Amino acid sequence: MRHLGERVSALVDGELSHSERERALAHLTFCADCRAEVEAVRALKNRLRSLEGPSVPADLTMSLLRMSEPGGPLPPRVNPFPDASRVFGGMPVPSMHGFAPPDNRPRGHARPRGGRARRAGYVAVGLTSAAMAFGTMFVIGGMEPAPSVVPQMERFANQHRTTIPYGPATAHATPIPTPTPTVTPTAPVVRGR
Amino acid sequence: MRSFSVAVTLAVAMLLGLVVAAPGHGAATSADETDGDDTGLHLLREAAAAGRTHRYTGVIRFVTERPGAGGTASALVEVSGADGVLTVREALAGAVARRVDPGSPAGGLAAPTPGMLDVLARNYHVVAAGRGTVCGRDSRIVEVRRDDGGVAARFWLDESSRLPLRRDVFDGRGRLTSSAAFVEVEIPQTRRDVTPLPGPAAARDEAELARLRARGWGFPVRLPNRLELFAARAEEPGYLYFGYSDGLSVVSIFVQRGYLDEERLTGWHVQARAGHKTWVRDSLRQEASWASGGHVYTVLADAPSDTVDAAIAALPHEREPGFWTRVARGAERLASWANPFA
Repeated sequence: MRHLGERVSALVDGELSHSERERALAHLTFCADCRAEVEAVRALKNRLRSLEGPSVPADLTMSLLRMSEPGGPLPPRVNPFPDASRVFGGMPVPSMHGFAPPDNRPRGHARPRGGRARRAGYVAVGLTSAAMAFGTMFVIGGMEPAPSVVPQMERFANQHRTTIPYGPATAHATPIPTPTPTVTPTAPVVRGR
Repeated sequence: MRSFSVAVTLAVAMLLGLVVAAPGHGAATSADETDGDDTGLHLLREAAAAGRTHRYTGVIRFVTERPGAGGTASALVEVSGADGVLTVREALAGAVARRVDPGSPAGGLAAPTPGMLDVLARNYHVVAAGRGTVCGRDSRIVEVRRDDGGVAARFWLDESSRLPLRRDVFDGRGRLTSSAAFVEVEIPQTRRDVTPLPGPAAARDEAELARLRARGWGFPVRLPNRLELFAARAEEPGYLYFGYSDGLSVVSIFVQRGYLDEERLTGWHVQARAGHKTWVRDSLRQEASWASGGHVYTVLADAPSDTVDAAIAALPHEREPGFWTRVARGAERLASWANPFA
C-alpha cells in the first residue's frame, strides 16, 4: 500500500469511509513514517483546538473599517502602549486588550483624488488667516491710546513772547492744578545730556 | 502777518531809548568790583536800567535768519518806550500796537532782568569793545564772548543815555543770526545817571520744580550750549512749560500729552533738525514740534539755530515702532482685552 499522503489529514478529521479507514489503519501498523505524520497532525489540531479565539478590540474593528474607505487623510496614530510598565527587552509589550495595529497602511492609497488641490486650499486659508491676524494686531498695535493733539501755537507763542527770564511771573504763572503725568515717574520728560 | 508782528515786537525791544523827565546829566555808573574781567557787564546793567526808565521813540529794523528756508527775513517796527513799557507796532498799515515788557522776547530782551544778566555773566565773558555809531549817535560797544573767544553777541549802547541801539547775535561759527537796530531814534532828553536796577539773583522757582518732580516729571536743569532752566510750570489746559536761557537767548519748551495729529498741521512742513524729523513753520522765530513717547514737544526759541538744534537733539526722540513691535503690542492689547481679570 502506498503511503497515506493527503489522506492523513482526512484520517485525523474522521472524514474517510469505513473501508478506507480500515485500510489506512492497517497501513499504519506497518508504516512508521505515516504513523508519525498522523501523530503530528493530530497533535497540531489538538493544540489549535485548545486555543481560545482572541477578542477583537472595537478600535481595531473601526480601524479596519476605515481602511476600506477611500476617505481623507490618515487619522493620527494613537500610542497603543500608554502603559509602559510592561516591557520586554526594553520595548513596551501590549496587553491583549490594549492592542492596536501598526499604522502600515499605504500612504498613497489613503490620499484621495485631488489631494494636491485640497492641500493648496488649506495653505491658502492658513495664510489668509495668518495675514488677517497679523494685520489686526498691527492695526491695534498702532492705535494710540493718547489723544491726538496739535501744538497750541497761539498760546505757546504768546507765553514765549511775554515770558521775562528770571523776572516776575507772568499771568501764565498763576498756580494751577498740576496734571498727572502719564509716563513712568522716573522717565524724564526732557532728557539732558 | 504774524511773522511781521513778531518782528515788530522784537524790534521794539531794541528800542529802549530814553527821554528823561529830569534835565541834566549824571555820572556813568562805575563797574562793579565783582564783575572781574567782565568789563562790559556794568554797561549792560546800565542799559537794562535805561531801557526801563527812559522815554524814546523810533523805528527798528529787525533781521533774522530763516531756519531751514535759507536767507533772511526782516521787518520794520515802530517802538515807543516809557515807564518801563514798550509799545510796539509793525510799520504797516492797519497794524495793531501792543504793550510788552522790554525784558521779554517780545521786547527783544533789550532790558534784561538782573537775574538774566547774572546768567549771562556766568556763561560768557562780557567785555567793553570800543566805540561805534548807530543812527549818527555815539555808542559804546559791548561784546559777549565765548570761552574760545568767539563773539556770541554784540551790543551798541547809546553813549549819552545808555539805551541799546543795536543788538547782534551770532551762532557758534561766528555767523550773524539776528540783528535788531534802530534806523530812526529820538531821545528827547538824555541822561546817564541810570542806576542798575536791583533785583533778585538768577533763581528758579524751586518749589514749583519740586512739585513737578514729586508728580513724576523729570527735566534737566541744563541743556546744551549753556541753556539753564529758569522756569517750569504746569499750565492750563494740560501742558507743561519749560523755559531755558543762557542769558542771551530764550528757548521755551512745551509738552502736551498725546500724539501729533499731522493732518491738522496746516502751515507746517517736515524738516530734519539735529538728525530728527520735526515739523516746523516758516516764522521769524524758531519753531519746531514733534512727538515722542506719547507726548508732543514744541520748541519756540529766540536763539541761534545751532543752539536750538542742540536743544532739540537733547530732548526725547523715540523711533517709530517697527512692524513686529506693533504686532507684539497689538497682541498684548488683544490679550488684555480678552482677559477679564486684566
